[in-house]
Formats: sequence, C-alpha cells, structure tokens
Amino acid sequence: MTRRSLRLSKFHVHHWILAALMSIVAFESTSSFAADQKSVSGQAAANRLFTLKVLPLLKVKCFGCHGIDSEDIRGDYDLMTREKMFKGGESEEPPVVSGKPKDSPLYQAILWDGMEMPPKENDRLTKEETEYFRQWIAAGAPWPSAADQLQIQKREWSVRENEDGVIVNTSGGLADDWTYRRYQPEDTWAFQPVKRPDIPAGAKNPVDAFVAKRLAAAGLQPATDADARTMIRRATYDLIGLPPSPQEIDEFNKAWSQDAQQAWSNLVDRLLKNDHYGERQAQHWLDIVRYADTSGFSNDYERSNAWRYRDYVIRSFNKDKPFNEFAMEQIAGDELRPDDPEALIATGLLRMGPWGTQMIPQKESRQIYLDDLVHNVGQAFLSMPMRCCKCHDHKFDPLPTKDYYRMYAAFATTQPAERQAGFLPAENRNSFAEKRELVRELLDYATSEQAKIQNKQEAAAKKWYEEHDLPYKNENARKKDTEEKKPPRHVGLTYEEKGMKKVREQDVWIWARRMERYLPMAQAVYNGQDDFKNGRKLREPKQINKQWRPENFILAGGSLEAPLESVKPGVLSAAGLPINQDGDSPFQITDALNGRRLAFAKWITDDRNPLTARSFVNRIWQSHFGIGLVKTANSFGAKGSKPSHPELLDWLTSDFIEHGWKIKRLHRLIMSSATYRRSAKPANTKTQTTVDPDNKLLASFPSRRLTAEELRDSALLVSGELNREMGGVPIMPEINLEVALQPRMIQFSIAPAHQPSRTPAERNRRTIYAYRVRGQADPFLEIMNQPNPNESCEIRDSASVSPQAFTLMNSDVMTDRSIGFALRVQKEQPDDTAEWIRQSVQIAYGRMPTQEEQTSLQDYLKEMQSYHKAHKPEEVKYPTQVTRSLVEEFTGEPFEFIEKLNVYENYVPDAKPWTVDADVRALADVCLLLLNSNEFLYIY
Amino acid sequence: MATISRRDFLYGLGSSLGALALTDLQAAEKKAVGPLAPKQTMHDPKAKAVIMLFMEGGPSQADTFDPKPELSRLHLSESKRTAGLAGGKRFYVGSPFKSRKVGNAGIDMSDQWKFLADPEVADELCVYRGCKAESLNHPEALLHMNTGSRLGGDPGLGAWTTYGLGSENQNLPGYVVMTELALPQAGPANWTNGFLPAHYQGTRLRSTGSPILDLKPPKFKSREHQRKALDQLAILNANHAEQHPEHEELNARMESYELAYRMQMSVPGIIDIDSEPEHTQKAYGLERKETSAFGRQCLMARRLVEEGVRFVQIFSGGWDSHDYLEKGHSSRINSVDQPIAALIKDLKNRGMLEDTLVVWTGEFGRTPDNNYRGGVTALGRGHNADAMNMWFAGGGTKRGTMVGATDEIAAAAVEVVHPIRDVHITMLHLLGLDDNKLTYFHAGRYKQLSQFGGELIPELIA
Repeated sequence: MTRRSLRLSKFHVHHWILAALMSIVAFESTSSFAADQKSVSGQAAANRLFTLKVLPLLKVKCFGCHGIDSEDIRGDYDLMTREKMFKGGESEEPPVVSGKPKDSPLYQAILWDGMEMPPKENDRLTKEETEYFRQWIAAGAPWPSAADQLQIQKREWSVRENEDGVIVNTSGGLADDWTYRRYQPEDTWAFQPVKRPDIPAGAKNPVDAFVAKRLAAAGLQPATDADARTMIRRATYDLIGLPPSPQEIDEFNKAWSQDAQQAWSNLVDRLLKNDHYGERQAQHWLDIVRYADTSGFSNDYERSNAWRYRDYVIRSFNKDKPFNEFAMEQIAGDELRPDDPEALIATGLLRMGPWGTQMIPQKESRQIYLDDLVHNVGQAFLSMPMRCCKCHDHKFDPLPTKDYYRMYAAFATTQPAERQAGFLPAENRNSFAEKRELVRELLDYATSEQAKIQNKQEAAAKKWYEEHDLPYKNENARKKDTEEKKPPRHVGLTYEEKGMKKVREQDVWIWARRMERYLPMAQAVYNGQDDFKNGRKLREPKQINKQWRPENFILAGGSLEAPLESVKPGVLSAAGLPINQDGDSPFQITDALNGRRLAFAKWITDDRNPLTARSFVNRIWQSHFGIGLVKTANSFGAKGSKPSHPELLDWLTSDFIEHGWKIKRLHRLIMSSATYRRSAKPANTKTQTTVDPDNKLLASFPSRRLTAEELRDSALLVSGELNREMGGVPIMPEINLEVALQPRMIQFSIAPAHQPSRTPAERNRRTIYAYRVRGQADPFLEIMNQPNPNESCEIRDSASVSPQAFTLMNSDVMTDRSIGFALRVQKEQPDDTAEWIRQSVQIAYGRMPTQEEQTSLQDYLKEMQSYHKAHKPEEVKYPTQVTRSLVEEFTGEPFEFIEKLNVYENYVPDAKPWTVDADVRALADVCLLLLNSNEFLYIY
Repeated sequence: MATISRRDFLYGLGSSLGALALTDLQAAEKKAVGPLAPKQTMHDPKAKAVIMLFMEGGPSQADTFDPKPELSRLHLSESKRTAGLAGGKRFYVGSPFKSRKVGNAGIDMSDQWKFLADPEVADELCVYRGCKAESLNHPEALLHMNTGSRLGGDPGLGAWTTYGLGSENQNLPGYVVMTELALPQAGPANWTNGFLPAHYQGTRLRSTGSPILDLKPPKFKSREHQRKALDQLAILNANHAEQHPEHEELNARMESYELAYRMQMSVPGIIDIDSEPEHTQKAYGLERKETSAFGRQCLMARRLVEEGVRFVQIFSGGWDSHDYLEKGHSSRINSVDQPIAALIKDLKNRGMLEDTLVVWTGEFGRTPDNNYRGGVTALGRGHNADAMNMWFAGGGTKRGTMVGATDEIAAAAVEVVHPIRDVHITMLHLLGLDDNKLTYFHAGRYKQLSQFGGELIPELIA
C-alpha cells in the first residue's frame, strides 16, 4: 500500500483533489461490462464507454461541483473537458494517468479509498460504475468530440433492450440522457403489466404453491400448523383488531376438533361479517392517508367534519366495496356523483394532509397543498412516492418531472372547502343535541368574556372621542383613520386585558368551528379558480369562474419562480397505459375545469394499471403477515424493496382484478392458505434464522405486537368497559391528566384543554373514534408507536422503549382498566379468590392458568390484599376550570386567564382505586400484570 | 421453568433489541449492547455533548447581538422594503436599547444583557450573524432549525446525535428536552425521532408535575410494591418466553421494564436541584421570580450533561415581539440572561465547557422595520428569514469572536452567509460526526440531517 501526502486545507476535506491520504487497493473484477473488456482496448469501444457510461456519470455526480459553475469550482478542479481533467486543480499531482487507473487519484477517489468522492453516501458510485472509469482510463481515457458522442448516442438509443438494460418509454425527461437511460428490468418491476403466472404444482391453495416453491429452493422446512387457540386469536386480531372471548375460543375449539377445515372457514366468514372488521381495516387505510381531526401548522385548526370521512372508510370496508370504486370515490367522488353526500364525504381524502395558510404567501400555500396531493395520492394508491420528481427527473425510477407536473395539473383546479352534505341514514348522530350543548356553553362563555373586554375598550374609546371632540366610530370603522383621529390601540385596557382579548377572540372561533361538527357539512373539495384562502374557514366562493384554466409548468427545482415548459394534466407515462389514441399526447387528460380528477381516477383504477391493484393487494397481505410481499408498501420504485414472491404478488393481483377488486375475497384466499395457518415456531429455529433471518420466505408465521389501538381496545374489552357503538363525532378518551391540561401554544393563544367525554360509555369506545389532534397526541397511544399523522405510515414500528413501561405500569389509564377488569372478575365470582385468578387469566390469555401460574398469582394476590389493606388511595378530584398563564405577545409580560372545563361539572368517572375496596385493588394488581405481560401483547 | 432464575432470564439471554431496522450504520454497530450504547465517532470530536438554548418566537438580532446605529437614525422614517409578508405602509424601528462592546474580545451586546456581558462569559462566545433561515412562519421555521426540514416528521438534532453517538448513561434518556409550561409551536415534532427508531426520540423532562409522564406509580403504590410487581411480571413473562424461544423481542421488552425501574431512581436524583449548594442555586437565579424557571432548567442541563446525557435542549418562549419591542425583549432577555451566564461559568469552572457545545438561537431573525398594526405605529419587528443571530460557546467553537455580518440595517446576512443546514453540519462536525455519513436509509434514499448535504462553517471552529 502506498501513501502519498498532498497539501491539505482542513476544511476542504471533501474536495477530493485535496485529500490527505490516498491508498491503492488491488482491483477485483466483477463488472457486467467484463464481456466487453477485450474490445474496450479498441478506440471505438472506449469512445462508446466514455459517451454512454463515463460522461453521464461525470455529469450527474461530478460536474455540480467541478464544472458547471465556473465561479465556484471546488478544489479548483474542472472536469468538463479532457484537458482540464488531466491538468488537475490545486493539487500538484496529475489526477488521471492515461492507461494507468491505479496511479490515477481520480479513480482512487471514486473508490472512496482514502479520498471520498462524490462525498455523499447517496451519490457514491457503485462498483460497476467505478469499473467504467477504470476501463476507460486503462484504454487511454479518450474523449470523443461532441459530434461523435451524438452519433454514438443515437445508435445506442435506437436499441430498446441490450445488456445494459431496457429503455422505458415515458413522456421524456429534461435531457435526452435521462429519457434514453436504461433500467434493469427488476428495478421497474412495478411498472410492468401484471401477469398471471401458472400456479406451481403440488399444493391446493395457490398461495401455498408459490410459497412452497421458494421454501423448497431454500431448503427450509415449514413449521407445523398452529393450534386452534392460536388460530382464533390470530384471525380475530387480524380481521377485527380485538381478542376473541373465552366463549368464542371454547366454541371454536369444539368445532375445530370435529372438522378443523369447516371450523376455520366458518370463523373467517363470521369475522368478515362482523362490523368491527371495517374499523380494523379502516385503521390501516387511515394510517396511509394520515387521518387527523385537525389541520396542523401554527393554529392546528379543527376539521370539524373529518369524522364523516373516517366513518365512510369504515362503511366502505364493511360493505366490501370494490377497491377500484373506493379509490375512485376518494379521488373524484364529487365529479362522479355530485349529488351524493357519500361521494362528497369520500373526497375527504384530499383534505387529509396537514395544511395551513398562516404567514405563507398564498401562491406558496397553494403549491404546498398541491404538492401534498400529488405525493400522497401517488404513495397511497400507486405505491409511488412522488416528492422525488418534484424538482428533477426521478433519479432511479422512470418518472420524469414532466409527469409530476402533469399529475399536479390534474389537481390544479381542485380547491379545499367545507361543503354541504346531508347526513346519511348510516351515520351515527346519537346525542348530537347533548354534545352540541356542551360546546355551546363554551362558546357562550368565550363570547361573553370577549364582550366584557370589548365593551371596556369601546367605553374608553368613546371617552377619547369625546375628549377630542370627534364623533365615535367603532373599532372596525376607525381602522383606517390616521393615528391622530382615533384612540390608541387597545385603549383603556391593561396588558392582561390586551392579551385576554386575543385569547377570547380565538376561543370564539374555535368553539364556533366546533359547533359545525353537528352540521351537515363535509371536509371536501370543489373545482374552481384559485382565490384567497384562510385555512381557518374554507368555503366555496359565491361564483365559480367556469372559464378559469390554471396554467401549469414544469418548475425547475420545484420553484414557483422558475417555470420551464408548460404542461397539461396527465397521468404517469411509465405505467404504459395510455389515456387516448392521440399520438402526440397519449397520457394527457382533459384540461377542462371539471373532470380532471375523474379522468385521473379512471386511469388509476383501470384494470390494466400495473400499480394500483398490486399496491393494495400487498397492503392486505401485510395486514396478515406484518410485512408485505413488498416490504416498502408505500414505495414500489427501484429504491424500494423488491417483492419476495413476485409471482405470488402477480397471481394474487390478477385474481383480485378478475374478481372485481373485492377485498373480503382476498382475505379469505390468504387466510385459507396453510402459509397463514402455520405456527410461529420454526421447524428448526437455528436453520431458519441462518437461512432466512427476516422470515421473508414464511416458513413460520411472523409474530407481532399489538398496535397502540389494539392494546387500548383490548384492555377495554377484557375489563368489560368497551362500548362497541360505531361512528359519530370524535370521542375524547381519558388521557394522562397532566397532558390533558398542559397548555399547548397555537398562534395567538393556548389551545383548549383535552376534556374527556362525559360518561364512560361515550369515551370507552374504540380508539379509531378518538379525536386525533395533530398538535397533541394521546400520550398512551403515542408511546405505543401510534404514528405521527403528518406523514403516511406504511408500517407500524413496535420498538420497546422504557417509557412504555411507565405508561403501562403506572398510568391512570391502565390503573383504571385494571380496576375495571378486577370488578368484572369479582362480580362473576364474588368470594372465590382461586376462581378470580382462573377467570382473569382466562379472560386475558384465552386459556386456563397452569398450576404454577395459579399458585404464584394466588400468592401474589394474597400479598397484595394485605398491602392494600394498609395503603388507602387518596381521591383525585377533577378540576372544573384551569388557570392559564401566557406571555402577552406585545409586552412580554405574563398574564393569567381562566379556561372552563365544563365537562367535569357533571362528570361520570370510571371506577377508581378510591371507589373500590382493598380486595379489588389487589386483584387489580394481578390484572395489571396480565395486561402488561408479553402473552397479552403479542400475537402468534 | 424452575431451572431459570429471574435474573438469569433478564440478563442471561443476551440483550438483542430485536425490533431495530437494520441499516448500514447499525449493521456496523452490531456489537453495541443497545441502541443507546456509546458509539465510535467518525473523526476526533471537539464536543461530547450539546446544550441548545432555543429562544422561541425569533429574537431580534438588532436588539441582542447585532446593533445597528443606522436603524436609530432611520427610526420611524418610511421603509420601502418589500421583503416579508406584511403589506401596507412600513416604517423603520430603531433599537430601544443601547449597545456596547464587552469583554476583552469586544463582543457587541445590547445593554439588556447584564450577566452575559461579564468578560468571563462574553469572551467565551462565538457570535454568528451570517445564518439565513427559510420560513417566515413559526412552526415551519422551528422545525427547520430543530430537524433540518420545514415539513415536520424528520428526526430532531438530538435524535441524529444520539443515533450517531449513543449516550454515556444508560439509566437516563440520551436526548432531553425542557420546555416552558406551554409547548413550543409544532410541539413534540421538534424533538421527534422521525424515521429513526423510537429509541432516539427526545424525552421531555417536564417542569411541573411528573418529570417524565407516569414515571412513578400512583401514590398508593410504594417502590417495594413496584419491585414485587415487576418480579411477578417477570415470572409471567418467563413462562411465556419458555413457550416462545424463537421470539427475541420478548427479552427486549422485559429489559425495558428493568431499565424503567432504574430510571425511576436516577431521574429524580438528577432533577433534585435542591441538593445543589445555595451559592450555585443563587448564581443561576433560582431565587429571582423572573429567572427561576429558566435557571432551574439551565442548572438541570448542566447536571444532565455531567451524568453523560448527550443532547439537552431548553426552550424559552415569548420572543415574538411584533409590538412593544422594548418591553418584550427586555423582559425576555432578563429572564434568561443570568441563568445562561451562570451555566457558562459553571461549565467552565468544572472543566466541562471545553467539550460541551452551548448553542443559543431562535428560529429566525426579525425585520428592521414594522408595519402599522391595527392602523397604529407599533414599535416592534416582523419575522425575517434573511438575517438572524445566534451564538455558540465551548465545544470547540472559536472563543470571543463575531463571525459573519448583516447589512447596515440588519435586514439581510451579507458576510459568511450560510443556510441553517450548514449550522447543523458544523454542529455534527464538532461532535465528531459527518453529516454525509450519518445517514439512515428510509423511503428509498439515504436520509441525512442536512437533507442533501452542505458545507461546514470553518469560521466558527477553533
């Protein structure tokens, strides 16, 4: 190994020509270009290598810092011509030695050997790419003229497929290099048409046939079948997100012992018909589309009717609405069936992203809205994150930036608004009057507090006008008067009152917005002109300019200030599914004011679209196995994962399409496989973890932890507190009281406290109905890895972190569940403590305790009984108001005000430690441990 | 079951943390005991820990560390600037404060800074005036400064740091955040782990109530009660683990309960600042009403860093002076001046300043002019993304210097101009981390704090 020192400027280590150390390693040849190696010695081949391989890499990876900007050339090393490349920069050493790659520092640098060029991980050259440079230098580093280059390129571009890959037809990139670049077919698998492969012989169920083929190839023995209890628990959680009851387990065991096959298919049918199925499936979809009841950004404005979209999703799954129809409604329901409230509610999808207008120029906030739609519609339906090609042609996928802006144009007439949409019979409007009354009280309070301050100010203003001998004008009327002609701002108010004025004004519109929950409105969209928008209140304009057509451009670097060529609405060309027969613009859709989204949605849901059905089938697979056939469910591009069983994915997809995009059928198909019914225990753990550590081949069933929602729902279910009522305005669960009352800043004030719903029945409902606030997560759910609703979540994290233990062992929420659980058990068997243990274990685990567990828990119970006789809990009172303190914006002085917590005035708490006796508290300790235990938290 | 004791089970079966996604960096660190175990730096570090003092709302450069006599001359004259958002007539606002040069280094400081002006403190500062933000809106700008992305959802600075370096103390969180009672705008997204595994998220040490949510059981359950509960839980879990030897995550989850138990002891110890000598408490301003809240947090920050916590962030709110600038900024400065000066002296006296990087910043700067608010001449300043000031102390930054400059009215940075990402890259560099290598593969690409790379600001480094 030779080492050479070069001059080094400490802060330019990444300017490759200034590297301190360079080492040389022996070269290993593994190049796919190896076949060409002999001919590379020929001048023509070397010219070709340079033009097609080396120069494009130089352009993409090097010229940015070493050429394009002649004012700022890093390390003073310009690579744009052969002469300059050979001459070098600040270094005294020649960077390229013709014929001798190993003596060429440039080559060493791109190997990241000593020197590291290009300096970013993302830009680093692959082995194959560095090999092009090696061969080119070895062949004398020729640099053909521009004309010769063009000739070489043209010849190359006329061949669609060669050993370097395939040219994918698209609407074209910003440069020919991109348009004619080649892809490895495996990198563009998702864009290729869905094929219907033959089912391999040897298994009845097609799923098993494909899975068995790969297992056999890997030499892996599949695990044995799981037992009945494991299977009913697995299926029940997968389909409805709740555990089976002991009775259900019992009945299933009996049926299974008579006819396992029949029992299983009856079970799956029963679960698919259960209304909780829709809730569980909707949770997956809401993760992807980022459901929340507020808008995020500085004010986190409430989206008062978002709940209707949530319920629409649940209803759709329960009805087994075909996925193509489901997709179509969400993208273009308003255009599809303008008079159908259901279709209008469905477009809530286009309102799901965090979005605000505060302190952002209108043009930019409009761009943010449309960028968000393009990226998230692409991600949700096509598993194609689109953000990457907003600024440039996609680096790895056949997505030209032109297609990004075509899709952008497809949404460019879409405007967000709260629209009128009559209530449907299916929607839950229980206790609307009562709930509205609680909001009304808060609105009245805020209004009267605001009036007090306003009146005081105006009294002072009147006095001022009198003193100045001028006629009184109200606050609005005098706004434009010059300062001599009107009283000072906030006249007559103390600084506390100044601050309070803002707080109460804010409160008034917060509660006024919340009243709209109970109105027949929907967070939806309409088609119309761009006009001024305030995120606080979005309504349709009085007049829609039917002639209005937005002009859309490719934006260089995504900047509104840098429009390039103009684009018309269209679809993604790489999918190879033209919209019309027009030879010039086969991927263009209508550019009328209306109908753009409908045309786009039709393309998305076309049976021949290679992306949509694959994407969704993969998500359903993931809902059963924890990981999809493609691990990156939101990203089917070259940088996403490749399918573990490509043929299986295609077979399932074609079957799905052929049978009308029906989702329940797909569940049945997957669940009827032996693959789904395997035990989680590998046939041979050691072999399997060596051969297939990530269990991609599914030799055994992948276990998983309960999600945050499943955990809360299950705890409520076993404690007997769960109210199974479906749908309706968001519920407010009890959350950690400190968090509920902790002040949360919004633009000019503090957001209202989290007040739980008044009665246990109202709040102890399934988590999917819980109010989802972007600015404040429920700490219990958050700690159990509920995703942040600002980004689409393709897969749940389940990392174990210590704060989870605090929450699950110590929180009031869990203490209350354990008390509820204990009361339930004790009610069934008042005096028999041995029976208490048996019952609790059976309810929590769905099995009887072992003798050891029985003894050990009974001993523990006894110990806790005597502990609790000696330790009495204190009662915790709920506050009916809270004092807020805020720093007044203008003066920097702190001031205080009162926030009313009216729900607590007539609150019905859950059973609490101080409302039960020592025996119940002791049993609750046992129950708490069961709820904390791994057996309760994991599904096998 | 009888053959395995509880402790054997807890500690004997290795300590894999099964649920971790495997990325390049983690693959290289497979030997480490856990996700927060200390890791090798990428080059020789100057700093081991960071204390970041975040002035939420956007402190005004012209009224803190970047005085502009020209503005006083222009005071109340009409401004024709069009930058920023507010339309309508605008007028210039001179600083209500006098300025002077302090310490041997002659650092510019408005006269509101009384404690920081102590030469012993001022000469440690490296004031930077060249940074440009991008957003004019608080939440986006906060997210940009704290996570490198305006959009939210990316990991916080402390998350990247603990991902890269781990933490020295396994019984405390590696990344601690302290806020005022009210959370800053954009809330916990400012210290989220984003796409990094959950181990790297910031833990909020709350200023009132329980320092970590539910750190302790309800009052009627004693510590012995908790120990018994955990032992009994371990028995349940051990039975279960015996049934599922293939399932590695079970160990990780059991361990997390034991770590939680240890944290119950270590956290209250750390936050018990009553154990500090009276003169220390006094130095941090704990007995003054205006400074006690921020002072407690600064003192806590020192104690945390002393115990090996990697990244501590403290938020001070209320710097958004659109009006009544004089009152607003003087009261804000007054609330942090003494605590910050005490922190720097304290770190210095303990020999900790050398390898602790202290950063003082806001999310953006303020304008030289203002618009008429409600039709009234409001003496305040708007949001300004083109200029701001921040300062560093210790951790390998250049002592007693002023780097970069704004134009004559502090409207825009004109010398040593760098975007926020370069500040981030420089901070990572001081910690021995290379932004281009500190990557995590997510959603199809290697993500990094700076998003797409950037450059160091060599002028800041000693």
